[in-house]
Order: sequence, then C-alpha cells, then structure tokens
Amino acid sequence: MHILMMSLYAAMAAVVLATVDPKSETNRERVLHGLKVFGSFLGIGLLLSWVLFPIPW
Amino acid sequence: MDKELPLQTQDTLTESIPAQFPDRRILFDEPRKFPLARRAAAVVAAWLVPGAGHLALGKYGRALLFFTTIGGAFVVGLSLGGHLYWPTVAEPPSRFHYDLITVLWFFAEIGSGLCYFVSYALGLGTVPIPQAAASPTFEYGNTFMFLAGLLNYLVIHDAFDIAAGRKR
Repeated sequence: MHILMMSLYAAMAAVVLATVDPKSETNRERVLHGLKVFGSFLGIGLLLSWVLFPIPW
Repeated sequence: MDKELPLQTQDTLTESIPAQFPDRRILFDEPRKFPLARRAAAVVAAWLVPGAGHLALGKYGRALLFFTTIGGAFVVGLSLGGHLYWPTVAEPPSRFHYDLITVLWFFAEIGSGLCYFVSYALGLGTVPIPQAAASPTFEYGNTFMFLAGLLNYLVIHDAFDIAAGRKR
C-alpha cells in the first residue's frame, strides 16, 4: 500500500513538474525530465526509509 | 539586359533579412504575448479549475494533463479520507493567534481552487479531525490534497509565464 501510494504521488508530481519545466523545449526532454523526477522521488524515498528504519522512535 | 544576381544560400538569405529591415522586429520565433486582461483571466481560471488557464491560452494538451493530474490527486486524497483544513485559533493562545500548521495546510489545499470549495459545499472532507484521523489512510489523503494544491500553484505560474510571452 505504502509503495503504491508513493509511486502514485511520485508519478503525479513528475508529470506536472516535467510539463512546467522551463528548460525542456521538446516533448522528449520533458519525458526524460519526468522520468528523472519520478526516479528521484522513489529513490530518495526508499533511501530515507532505509536510513530511518533502525531509529526506534 | 539585367545583370544576373549570384545565387545565395538559405543561411545567407535568413541572415540578411534583419539587416534589410532594421526597424522591424522579427516576431515569428517569439512566444506570443497576451493582453493584460487575458493574462489576469488565465491566472484566475488556472486557480479556479486546474488546467483552465492553459485552456484559455490555447494549450489544450497541457490543460487536459493538468486537469486530470491535479484533479485526480485531489479526488484520490478525498477518497482516502483527507480533510479540508481551515485556519483554527491556536490553543493555548499564541502570538500568531492562529495555529500555524493549519494555516499552512489550508494554504496548500486552497491552491486547488474550486475543488476545495465544491468539496466543502458537498460536505466531503469535513468530518471532524479526531474521527477522520481514525482512518488508516487519513494522512495519505491529506498528503495527496496538499500535493494537488501546491502543484496547481506551479501551474498558475506556468500559465502566467505563457500569457506574458516568457514561455511557449
């Protein structure tokens, strides 16, 4: 459930952030930027959860 | 008999146009700049309905994308039990008068415009917080609703940039 929600959140944020990105001029650049944002959301989320997992409080 | 002119390459021709007409700006490669009233209308429309600002500016594809994504995020948030926040008075009283966190959450959610007001009018997301918080997906719902509003602020800014001719 948590991974699913995180992926949905990342996908929605990536779509909008890639579309409004002022540096991307073509659709290909926008898609690549969106994939980077999506991957970053998931990657950083998983990394943070792994780092924070041992903390007991 | 006329003197035959030498052939010119395409590049030479393109470069020579601004030199021949120095008092005229070449507009074909610049983004369109909309009048002030249309810019204001696009910004207000973009706030009220996600994507409507882009629709008013003729960017139909982006309008549809923003409407489905941001509207979808708000609906997912509501269906997961998210709450519509309103600034509440701090308890115990503070210098700021209002509970700062509820002000920030309200600011995030109000960004989605009519989605917030229509949901409020329909009584969706208005369950008292202690009762709503009992749902295991309460925080997920809130997060999606904050996402919808905050992303719409970016979309409003994008619509303004397009209307002002800063972006295509």
